[in-house]
Amino acid sequence: MKREQKAGLVLMSPPVLLLIAGFLLPLAFVAYTSLMPPRTFGFTSNITLENYVTAVRESYWRPMAWSVFFALATTILTMLISWPIAKALVRKSRRFATIVATMIAVPVFIAETVRLFGAHLFLMPRGGILAGTINYFFGIDIGSVLFTPLATLIGLLYIYLPFALFPTVLGLSQVPADQVEAAQDLGASPWQQLRYVEVPIASPGIIIGSLLVFVLVLGATSESHMLGGQSAVPIGFAIEQRFNYAQDWPLGSALATVLCLITALLVFPLLSRLDLDRLFGR
Amino acid sequence: MTRTDTILSLRDLSRDFGGKLAVKNVTLDIREGELFTIVGPSGSGKSTLIRMLAGLEIPSSGDILLRGKRINDVPANRRPTSMVFQSLALFNHMTVGDNIEFALTVRGEDRQKKRARARELMELVRLPADYYAKSVTRCSGGERQRVALARALASDPDILFFDEPLSAIDYRLRKILEMEMKDLNRETGKTFVYITHSLEEAMVMSDRIAVMRDGEIVQLGEPLSIYNAPASRFVAEFMGQVNLLGVEKDGHGMVLKDLTIPLGAGIAATEGTWLMLRPERLRVLPENGRADVTFDAVCFNSYLLGSRTHLHAKMDDRTFISELDAGMPPPEPGQRIRLGFDWSDAVAIHE
Repeated sequence: MKREQKAGLVLMSPPVLLLIAGFLLPLAFVAYTSLMPPRTFGFTSNITLENYVTAVRESYWRPMAWSVFFALATTILTMLISWPIAKALVRKSRRFATIVATMIAVPVFIAETVRLFGAHLFLMPRGGILAGTINYFFGIDIGSVLFTPLATLIGLLYIYLPFALFPTVLGLSQVPADQVEAAQDLGASPWQQLRYVEVPIASPGIIIGSLLVFVLVLGATSESHMLGGQSAVPIGFAIEQRFNYAQDWPLGSALATVLCLITALLVFPLLSRLDLDRLFGR
Repeated sequence: MTRTDTILSLRDLSRDFGGKLAVKNVTLDIREGELFTIVGPSGSGKSTLIRMLAGLEIPSSGDILLRGKRINDVPANRRPTSMVFQSLALFNHMTVGDNIEFALTVRGEDRQKKRARARELMELVRLPADYYAKSVTRCSGGERQRVALARALASDPDILFFDEPLSAIDYRLRKILEMEMKDLNRETGKTFVYITHSLEEAMVMSDRIAVMRDGEIVQLGEPLSIYNAPASRFVAEFMGQVNLLGVEKDGHGMVLKDLTIPLGAGIAATEGTWLMLRPERLRVLPENGRADVTFDAVCFNSYLLGSRTHLHAKMDDRTFISELDAGMPPPEPGQRIRLGFDWSDAVAIHE
């Protein structure tokens, strides 16, 4: 073995060991637990697919579908919201960029529960900030947004916007202004400039941002807890309940495994198309 | 369509950048099919001017007329013009072919048609056909230049703008590309508007040249007329390598400032006029050589420029540039020499 290779292995081993102990092993435990008979604790040699059958039969596809829906909707919407903000951050003056970036970044340092409680107060019916203000000025009662899937979605957009925005800024900063001008000069409409030049060049940032938001939202539970109530139960909440309330670890594990598989199926093809070198300007 | 028809008219065109006028009241007519060059030092406003013509910059006042139609408010993507950028601005995430076809892609042309046009253009700009699928990031500087040119020509524009595209190319290749540019102008019959900071480059290829300074056009004309009769000291010095002799008044009339030689008959000069003498017109005189004006100087150094030799000679602290006659051995540094010129070779510059 060459010297450098040896050095590389030595340097790599701590994170690799950490990943094995902290990530791969628990994942393997979960996968194995999902094959145990219902309501058993610990490992036996009785391997069964019964939990997966139950998962399908007892319509656990419903929370799964809600989660996938929320993840997709949040990813698309945060991306759409991020794009013009990111463009302004990249193209406008440094001063302006610092102010806007700070305004978006500072809330991230506040605990999610606190922020969601704020959103709760904002969306509350009658006396809530949104409903109350509209009622005061226009005399219209908008009823309750709280405890609807829409409330969950609003909470998710609020919490996960920075995860979409900052990678998009990084991606957009790779788009040379003169190439956009060249596209325009060659007859491209603003929409075509976006499609042929800006999006392809910014794509590493867009992919990273989308993946972060998608994967995080897929496992998110607090937003529906605090804003959506029982209107739309996400899969993360269902899994949590199997483990705590129902004390059925194998079923919880089966649901968790399915979630992992769905994530992997969506994430790996995208990741393989990602050129990190380009994002870091190499 | 003859070469004297006007294709593009600029009327009192100005661009104000927060109180600073980058372009000041430029009025200009560019003719159908000509290679028109705007030349000026950096900061003279030439880039701003061409960007307004391409539609990438909005004029603060004045009009741009394309064949008599006002196009001030027409955005760049709806103007029948293309630009070759200083940075070339090639789409690095695309192949050579995709770059060249871009203007046709956004128009929605079909694949067959695009490909045929790309092939035709690649031949025109002398790019090998197998470059079609090559990534532009793997092309050399000169090849990228040709891709940019083909890409700009693809939409069959009425006018091509060039924003110093050769400034980053090494000298030898630049000389070749300058000539190719002129050939391409003849072959395509299109109007080229070219920007450069090098008057030498402008001389090589232009039909007409406009010299710009501080946002204004200070001289407009054919290359030779600018070369032979610069309108101002600025233009004369911008061309480099010239001798400028001041004129002043003494008891007897007008004299050359440092030489105190009375001005020859037929030269109209007042105080403040400069006389321009090109190096080839200021000769090092042999023993019995004659000239209208002669004076002594000390050889400072000589410089071999390929087929020619330039000599710097000093008189007090004035430096003169002279071009040696072919075959004449250069004097040694420090050697006393006699310089001379004829009045008919001196050009009076009133500024």
